[in-house]
Parts: sequence; structure tokens; C-alpha cells
Amino acid sequence: MTRRSLFGTARFARALATTSIRSAMALRASFWMQVVFMVLNNFTFLVFWWALLAKVPSIRGWRLADVAVLYGVTAAGFGLAVTFFGGALQLGRTIDDGELDPLLVQPKPTLLYAAGSRSLASGLGDFASGIALLALSGQVSVWRAPLALLAIVTSGLVFIASTTIFQSLTFWLGRSEAFARQLWDATLNFSLYPEPLFGGGLRLLLFTIIPAGFVGYVPANLVRHPSAAGASLAVTAALAYVALAHWVFRRGLKRYASGSRFGVFG
Amino acid sequence: MNRLRFAKYAAFARIAAALARAERGELLGRALFFPIILGVFAALWRAVGEAGMPLARTPSTLVWYLASTEWVLLSTPPVHFEIEQEVRRGDIAYHLPRPSSYAVSAFAQGLGVLSVRAPVLAAAAFVCAFVYGKGLPEHPLALLYVVPFGLAAQVVLLTFQLTIGLLAFWLQNVGPVYWVWQKSAFVLGGLMLPLELYPAAVQRLAHFTPFPALLYGPARFILGAPPTHGVELAWALAGWFAVAVLLATAVYGRALRALAVNGG
Repeated sequence: MTRRSLFGTARFARALATTSIRSAMALRASFWMQVVFMVLNNFTFLVFWWALLAKVPSIRGWRLADVAVLYGVTAAGFGLAVTFFGGALQLGRTIDDGELDPLLVQPKPTLLYAAGSRSLASGLGDFASGIALLALSGQVSVWRAPLALLAIVTSGLVFIASTTIFQSLTFWLGRSEAFARQLWDATLNFSLYPEPLFGGGLRLLLFTIIPAGFVGYVPANLVRHPSAAGASLAVTAALAYVALAHWVFRRGLKRYASGSRFGVFG
Repeated sequence: MNRLRFAKYAAFARIAAALARAERGELLGRALFFPIILGVFAALWRAVGEAGMPLARTPSTLVWYLASTEWVLLSTPPVHFEIEQEVRRGDIAYHLPRPSSYAVSAFAQGLGVLSVRAPVLAAAAFVCAFVYGKGLPEHPLALLYVVPFGLAAQVVLLTFQLTIGLLAFWLQNVGPVYWVWQKSAFVLGGLMLPLELYPAAVQRLAHFTPFPALLYGPARFILGAPPTHGVELAWALAGWFAVAVLLATAVYGRALRALAVNGG
């Protein structure tokens, strides 16, 4: 890709994000309700850990403040991901319904277009509650804020890349949206548990097929115990999953059969 | 007339069941989910036990408890997301003029999918519980109560999720409402830990919600609840089913009045 086309794609991505976010905010009451419900959602699940850690001081070295960091990074990363790339969550249905047709004839990257064409209003609620949890944890000083931001971005990238891979299974399996949803739901849910709990095959699974470890634990650990090695691991994992998602989607596109459906997109 | 109406919705259920049977990959994927979930929570309880928290239950019992609650939750089809999609895409415009209630047909389709998923996932859940729990639960006969009460709970859960789906007429995206509902079910329904292990305040709050009847209630037989618990649970499920039906009816009625079809 030339430098000029790279800038062109970046400009397109920015315009797409602006349009999608404006579209999500168009219904004001619905927008704010979604934001508020998402904040409520994140704090509800923390009750489980609060109840558990009220009875024991720590679980394998994890205290409530550590769980708050894990939650904060994951929620903010997820929020960022679905605010800018909410379309990835519905990619399977888009493929199955033949709705990639109008995107394929556009001069811009198809995956970026499909993923960026929708913004979830609830993502802002997730992002806000994630930041609030990080602040409440007492483990993020002003000096660590850039590192926390890096952790959030890598968490969001791994989440959206793995979701793209799960949804792209539709190219091979046919209609499998519910299965893909279950996989990304699992990635998100399992990323909210402290990693020292897991061992053996389960650990391998949570760092590969269901990359909950790279959505939650690795970025959270970067905030808890900053190190160059931790930062490189988080960044490398994010880039690797993004590259894999791009490759899987392109391979899938070769199998894509048009929906032969007349329609407009946007 | 009533028979004809029933036959119409029974056909919706039959077609949905046939589709669910045809989507074998999805069914298999859901079934394969149980070893992961039970593995995660078995690991969590081991760690909690190591940390010194008295669980008052054997790890085997807790694995069977979780298999029961997860079976109830995972078998219930996500009818709310189907409704959300149809409203968002404007497909709802094609459903409404049909000589059948959209809400009742969505419910019938949900029942059809449930009739396929529930037995398959029960087998998956209980086989996994047998493996992780290293044998049958302490009270094996409890399973005879868990299954029917679990099925009843799934029908009530489906009705509540239908109501959440109908909110898409106003919200467009029902995800946040569902996630609050789901997380409340996790905590107040005692999905991962029996409700009795939560602080008294959480337990008191839970009793004002349907979640204990939907998850903790059926799974409580595994913990050794006497058969008389069934009478109390049957009343609770019937009551919450009535509440769910009233809510769904009210929301659907308002939705039809306020409907502005999105692109239909």
C-alpha cells in the first residue's frame, strides 16, 4: 500500500467513524438509555466479585482493585471497539444475506467499510464505565494514563479482530451468526476472570481460539505492572490478531457468493 | 376457531424446530461450550476454596449446580436479538400484516428452537458435569426435578426475553438492556454461586426479582432441597410467567400503537 493510499484509507476511516457515531446519536433518548444501561451492566457484574472478595482477602493474588483494573481495561476496550467497528458484530449476517455486494464495488477496503459502517451507542457507556473503574481502582496514576490507553486500544483491537474471525466463519459454515455471537460473548466474558485461575488446556484455549487472555489479562497486567515486555506482548498480540482477521476475511471473500439482492447500503 | 389459531402457531414452532435441527453446527458449538464454562468455574471454585472461603458444598455438587443453571440459561433461544434485527432492518413491516400476532409467533418460534436445544444441551451439560464432578451428584434423584422445573424456567425466561426484544421498537439496540438482565441473572439468580453464599442484602434484593425462580430454584434440588421445594417453585414460576406475559402484552400493544417502521 502506498503512503498516499494509506492516508486516503485513514481519512475514509475517520469519515466513516464520524458518520456512524452521528447515526447512533440520532435517536437521542435511545442513545442515552443505551449508554446508561451499559454503565449499569458493568457495575452489576462487579457485585459478584465484591461479594466473593468480601469473604476472602484475595484469590490467587488478585484483590478487588485488581479486578477493577481488569474490568476497566476490558470494558473500555470493548466500548472503543464497538463504537468504531460495531459492524463487525453483525458481519456474519451481512455475509449470509449477501449484503457485501454494494461494498465490494467500492474503492475502499471492504472489511473496514463493513466493520466501520455501524457504531453501537452502548460502546460509549462501556468506555465511560471502563475509565471510571480504572480511576476507582486507585492503580492508574496520571503517569500511567498513556499506558492504560495503550492497554485499552490493544484490548479493543484483539476483541474486534477475533470477532471478525468468528463472524467470517459464515463464509464456510453458512448461517452461523448465533454461534459467532456465542464465541465473542465467551471471549468477552472469560476476559473478566483473573488469569491465574486457569491452567493447562483451558489456559491454551483462552490465549488462542478464544483470546480472552489478550482482551483482558495481558492489557490489564500492563496497567498493574508496567514493563516494556508487557507492552510489546500486548501490541504484538493485537497486531497478530488484526493481521489474522484480515487474512481470514480475504480468504473467505474468495468463497463469497453474491446475494443477488438489489439494495442500497448506508 | 381456537384450534385453528393454535395450529397456526404450532406450525411456526414446528418450522423453527426444523430449522434448529438443520443448523447442526450451531447446536454442536453450543454443546461444546459446556466443557469450557464448567472448566472455568471449576477452576474458580478451587481458587476460592484455596483462599479459605468455606463453600459448604463439595466441588462435585457445585459443578452439577452450575451445569443445571447454565443449561437453563444457554438453552433459551436469543429471541430478543432476532426481534431486534427484524425491527432494525424493517422486516417487521412484512410480518405485521399477516393474520397472526407477531409477538405470539416469535414466542412459538422460540418454543420450537427450545424443544430442539434443551434435550441436546441437557445431555451435554450433564455429561460434562459427570466428567468434571467425577460422578453423579450427591443426590442423583434431584435430576428428576431439575429437568422439568428447568424446562418451565426456560419458557418463563423466553417470555421475558421476548419482552426485551420488543423494546427494540423504541431502542433499536436491545443489547444493553439484555446485558443488564443477563448480569442480574448471573448475580441475583445465583448462576455461578448458590444464592446462599451471597451477602444477606443481595439475597433480600434477589427475592424481589424473577431470577432466583429461574436459575437458583431449579438447580437448588442439586444442593439437596426437599421435593416440597417444588411446590413453592411451581407457584413462583407460574407467578413470574403471568408477570412476563402481562409485560409482553403491554409492551407489544404500545409498540404497535407507536410503530414507525424503520425502512419497511
